[in-house]
Amino acid sequence: MRLEKCWFCSSTIYPGHGIQFVRNDAKVFKFCRSKCHKNFKMKRNPRKVKWTKAYRKLHGKELTQDTTFELERRRNRPERYDRVVVENTIKAMKKIEEVRIKRESKFWESRMKGNKSKERREGLAELEQSIHMVKAPLALQADPSLTLPKVQAKIKVKVSTEKQSTQAMQE
Amino acid sequence: MIQPQTYLNVADNSGARKLMCIRVIGTSNRKYANIGDIIIAVVKEAVPNMPIKKSEIVRAVIVRTCKEFKRNNGSIIKFDDNAAVVINQEGNPKGTRVFGPIARELRESNFTKIVSLAPEVL
Repeated sequence: MRLEKCWFCSSTIYPGHGIQFVRNDAKVFKFCRSKCHKNFKMKRNPRKVKWTKAYRKLHGKELTQDTTFELERRRNRPERYDRVVVENTIKAMKKIEEVRIKRESKFWESRMKGNKSKERREGLAELEQSIHMVKAPLALQADPSLTLPKVQAKIKVKVSTEKQSTQAMQE
Repeated sequence: MIQPQTYLNVADNSGARKLMCIRVIGTSNRKYANIGDIIIAVVKEAVPNMPIKKSEIVRAVIVRTCKEFKRNNGSIIKFDDNAAVVINQEGNPKGTRVFGPIARELRESNFTKIVSLAPEVL
């Protein structure tokens, strides 16, 4: 049994999940769930839908070319069963997964690198532009129209004890 | 899910173009036919100058359905259209070619001739 990739969102399709659509020219479209199938029926392009892998890769949100992707690849030549090869592969899978996660986090960090300084710059610019709106605390005290009216103190409401007892009876 | 009054495309070169199901072969109260089932149909459209004429009554086997069907391995498959192949009483196809993809279920219902003629078996 094979783990296929969804045509729309490129996620893994596990056995017993999803649906296959066969077009009349014999091209097979595999979908991981009805969400992807419906999007296909609406003739949406996966490169234009933001939550798909195709979009994220196209717009530089994720790693595109990496040697760690080479392990998980469609191979149409059946491999002869060999105990040693299987063992090594399972070992390699774990290791490669670790490497992949590390590389992805590094990629994300480098992608988010300039954000902090950019935010700071924008904040400073806004502050400079609208400094006239900021008032000194003393000026606020002097003119009550600048602040919100003070909230009135909480009003205590008496609850009759009889009701409570009847509720307890009902329970 | 093919029932009487369903229109089907013809996936062979027998000369018919469109069929309309008028009966599903099976028990007397059978409602629907699926891939690999035999139906009785009327030729609604035919290619000119061919042995099969319009309004002729023929037997046909369903090869593709829009309604999805399940395999034993859990996968669900559906096709683009409803299509059938015209057959004779013995179950051999009347045409000499079959067009479009065809489900593997036909082999299990002993239509090996159609399966071998098909360009793509899925």
